[in-house]
Amino acid sequence: MSFSNDAINAALGIADGSALDRLRALRPEFVAGAEACRAAVLTPDEDLGLSPELRAALGRRVANGGGNARLVEGYPLPTDPELALLAAGDMPDDPALAALARHSDMIANSAAKAGPQDLATLQDAGFTVPQIIALSELLAYTCYQIRVAHGLNLLKEPRP
Amino acid sequence: MTDAIPQIALKPLTWTPHLPPVEIEDATPRQLEAMKVTPSAKKVSPYVRTLAHDPDSYVARTVLFNAIMYAEGGLNRADRELGALGASLVNGCRYCANVHARQHARLKGAETISALFAGRGDALPPRDGAIMAFAEALTATPPTAGETHVAALRETGMDDAEIQDLIHSIAIFGWANRLMHPLGHSD
Repeated sequence: MSFSNDAINAALGIADGSALDRLRALRPEFVAGAEACRAAVLTPDEDLGLSPELRAALGRRVANGGGNARLVEGYPLPTDPELALLAAGDMPDDPALAALARHSDMIANSAAKAGPQDLATLQDAGFTVPQIIALSELLAYTCYQIRVAHGLNLLKEPRP
Repeated sequence: MTDAIPQIALKPLTWTPHLPPVEIEDATPRQLEAMKVTPSAKKVSPYVRTLAHDPDSYVARTVLFNAIMYAEGGLNRADRELGALGASLVNGCRYCANVHARQHARLKGAETISALFAGRGDALPPRDGAIMAFAEALTATPPTAGETHVAALRETGMDDAEIQDLIHSIAIFGWANRLMHPLGHSD
């Protein structure tokens, strides 16, 4: 089985048939499952009013915090200037996007601090309950991806 | 040394969402289909009904979660539970920490959990100590896990396939914690 197009192999910068690729092939359900999740959070059939561009921009903002440039490249930089600010880790002028930026930084960096007032802030900024759920899944997915890539990178040198 | 630590028994917590969950009678066909993925379809939990607002991600994540925590072979269940617990403690998710501490105690006895909840990480058995140290470092933002953590795991006899399973159990709880803790409260 070949996983050359999957986001984690791309983040690891590994080729088909490499030792790490063969290790990953022991758990095909993890590889396929993560790819299905990537599609579900970035390009779902029903986007709930959150465009693929917005989703990719938010993913890129979170991925920036993981310290893996190849992982960041998996989230294309948007052409829309406000979304580009969101993606780059800057503060958008648009109040709703700014609220989303602050929320995602808090969830990614210090999830323990999250409280009900943070959800109220998102609702006040105009996000619906289904949108908040979809955004929460997207943020958390990217945090998952960062940790899988970081951990597997440590296994590039196989057991001596 | 661990004899001095009193054994604890954790009581289950109840999780309540901050946001209104999907009501079954209002659910769309897609949401109803998504909620069938739950292990016990008789009574759909508030957690499942909250996440069913976005049925696509709910289904995809649940399939991945079940693969990571319950796949045959590889790392034993107790060690996967300990990885989940380590992530949950760092991420401040009381509910997940409670569930997976109790799972670990059920599988392996209360010694490790009692030490952790007494703040006596120093008293853990070596393998559990290596797992906790790795879980904490991989959960940090950005992750700080390094070669020394992996070397410590290998020293306890863990092979790379098992470490791969551990990485995924820690990472999937980085995800689960970021839903359960921000979206509700537990008591």
